Amino acid sequence: MNEKREQQTRTGREPLLKRKTAVSYKTDEKTVLRGYNMSDLAEEGYSLCDAMYVLFQGRIPTEAEEKMLKYEMGEFMEHSMSPSAASAISVTAGRPNLPAAVAAAVMTFGSAHGPGAAHGYMMNKYLERARKEGKTIDEIAKILVDEYMDNGVPVMGMGQPQHRDGDPRAEPTHLKQETLEISGVYLELQRAIEKHFHARRKKEKRSYVPVNCVGAGNTALCDIGFSPNAAWCIGSVVRGYSCAAHAVYTMKKGRAWAASRNEPMTQMLDLSMIKYIGPDDRPVPTQEERQEYARKQKETGEFKKWVI
Amino acid sequence: MGDIKRKEIGNLSDPRLPYDYMNREHGTVPLNPDRPHFQWVSEVAYKNIHRIVTRGYDTTELVEQGYGVVDILFIDFQARIPTQEEEKMLNYILILSLEDGLSMPAVMSRLVGRSKTFLTQACGSAILAFGHAYGAYAAFGTMLTDYLARAEAEGKSKAEMAEVLVKEQKTGEALGYSDLMLKDPAAKRLFARAEKLGIAGENIAFMKEIVKAAQALDEGPVDLDLLGATGAAMMDLGFTPEAMWTIIAVTRSYGAGAHFIEEIEREEFTRLGETLTPKEFYDGPEDRPVPPLADRRKTAAPAQVHSFEEWRTTLEKRKELLGSGFSIVEEIEDPTRKTGSKH
Repeated sequence: MNEKREQQTRTGREPLLKRKTAVSYKTDEKTVLRGYNMSDLAEEGYSLCDAMYVLFQGRIPTEAEEKMLKYEMGEFMEHSMSPSAASAISVTAGRPNLPAAVAAAVMTFGSAHGPGAAHGYMMNKYLERARKEGKTIDEIAKILVDEYMDNGVPVMGMGQPQHRDGDPRAEPTHLKQETLEISGVYLELQRAIEKHFHARRKKEKRSYVPVNCVGAGNTALCDIGFSPNAAWCIGSVVRGYSCAAHAVYTMKKGRAWAASRNEPMTQMLDLSMIKYIGPDDRPVPTQEERQEYARKQKETGEFKKWVI
Repeated sequence: MGDIKRKEIGNLSDPRLPYDYMNREHGTVPLNPDRPHFQWVSEVAYKNIHRIVTRGYDTTELVEQGYGVVDILFIDFQARIPTQEEEKMLNYILILSLEDGLSMPAVMSRLVGRSKTFLTQACGSAILAFGHAYGAYAAFGTMLTDYLARAEAEGKSKAEMAEVLVKEQKTGEALGYSDLMLKDPAAKRLFARAEKLGIAGENIAFMKEIVKAAQALDEGPVDLDLLGATGAAMMDLGFTPEAMWTIIAVTRSYGAGAHFIEEIEREEFTRLGETLTPKEFYDGPEDRPVPPLADRRKTAAPAQVHSFEEWRTTLEKRKELLGSGFSIVEEIEDPTRKTGSKH
C-alpha cells in the first residue's frame, strides 16, 4: 500500500466534532438513526418519506402520514423559476462545483421565499394563546388575521406573486389532507385563518388573495407531527433536488458566464440587461483633493439618499 | 456628463492600453432590438399562473396520481417515469444517504447554526461539504464511465479493465472501494437488493470486478464502500455523475437539518471573538516585534524572482509557511484533450 493510501487508512475515525447527539451514531458495523439500523430500514422497504419521520420525529409513520409527506415533498420539489432555481442557474454561470449552486438554491429560502418555520411558529403562538385565553380556533383565527392586517403585516401562508388565482398546489394539499383523514388542529386553524382573511379583504373591497403552498403544505406538515424547523427543512431541502436539475442542465447545455453575444437570445448577464439608476458618473478626486472633497460630500449629505 | 473634468489619472493615458481610457463612453449599454430579450430557457420545467410542469408532467397531477419525490427525481433528471423497482431502489439508496452521524455535513451545519442563522443556511453549508473527496460522486461516476468506455474501445472484459483501473488509480478518494466498510454490510446489501430488484447493470457488475481486483492487488484489506455501492447503483438507474452528486448531497442535507436543530436545542450560540486558540496549538513563526513603518524599506524583502532556479528555490522555501497555499498543487485540465462542459 503506498504512502498516500496508508495515510487514508484510519484506525480511529473519530468524529470531527465532539457532541452528545440523539440523532444518530455510526460504528464500523452500522449507522443507526434514532435507534434504527439504516440499512435495515432500507431492506425492510421503508421509503425516504418514512425515514424523514424517523429522522425528525423518531418514529415510523402511519401509512396515511407517509402518503401525505410523499404528496407534500413531491409537489414542493419542482417550482420552475423561483428565487431558488434562479439562484442555482446564476451560480452555475460561473462554473463552480455543482454543490455550490445547489447550496445557494437552498439558502434562498428565507423570510419571503418559502417561510415555512415562521408560518409554523405563527400557528403555534396563536394556538397557545387560544388555549390560555379559552378561545375557540375560529375566534383566535379572526384575532390573528385582524392583528396582522391592522398592523399592515402580511398574513403568512397567503398569496403568491406568480400564481395570482391561487397556487395550483395549495388547495389540493388541503383536500389531500382531508381525504387521508389526517386533519388536525393546524388544518382547522389554517382554514379558519383563510375564512377570516378572505372575509376581511372582501369587506375592504380588496382583491382575492388565495392560500399559498406554505399555508397549505406547512399546515399538513405540522399536522403530521413535524416541528416548524423540521418542516422548513423538508420543504426547502426538497427544492434542492429540482434546483440541482436546473443547475446540471445549465452546466451541460447553457453558456458559461451567461453573457455571450453569440447566442441568438440576449443573455441574462448581457451588458444591455443592466439598468443603472445610481449617482451620475463623476470624476474621481485626486489624493490631494480628497480631504476637502470628502468633507464637502459629508456636509452636503446628498450621499445619504444612496446609503443602503 | 459634459461637466466632468478630464485630467491625467495614473497610467490611464498610457498608449499601451487597448483603447482611450480618458474618453471612454459613459452610461449603460442600450437594449438591442435585433435580439430577442432575455428569458429563462429550460428543458426541465415551466410554470404559468395555474400549472407547474416538469418535463411535460403537471406536478399536481403527478402527486394526485400517487407519484412522489423519488419518482420526480427520475422525471426532473431523466425526463421519465421510473419503474416500481427503480423507485424502490432509489428509495433504498436515499435512506442510506440520509444520515452519517457527526461527519462533515452535520458538523458544518452545526457550526453554521452556532452563529444563529436560518436553518436553510446550515442545510446549504452541509451541501457544500460534498467535494471531490467526501461524497466524490462526480469523480467516481466519471471514472466508471471512462473505464467502461475504454474497455469497450480496447476490447477488454470488465475484469481486465478493473485490474487496469486499480493499477492506474492507486490513490484517490473516489475509487468506490476502501477500508471504510470492512465490517459494515450495508454497501454489499445494497448491491444484493439491486440484483434482487433486477436493476443491477453494467456499473454494478464493473464495480464488483473493481473490488475483486483491488482485493487481489492491494496490500491491505479493502471492500466495497458506500460511495461505490450508491454510485454504481445510481448509475445503473440512469443518473449521470453530476445528478447523483447533487442528489446525494441534498439528501444528506435533511440529516444536517436535524443536526442544526439539535445544536440549537443543546448548545449555545457563539459570538464574534469568543473562540480562543491556545498558544500550544500554534507552530508558526515565533512572536516578533512589528517593525516601525518608517523602517519598511529596510525590513521588507521583495517577492520577485528573475530566473528559473531562483523561482524553483523560492517556491520550495515558501512551502515552509503552512497556510500560504504553496504546498497545494491542483491539477488543471489538459488543454490537449478535448474537454468542455457543453455536450
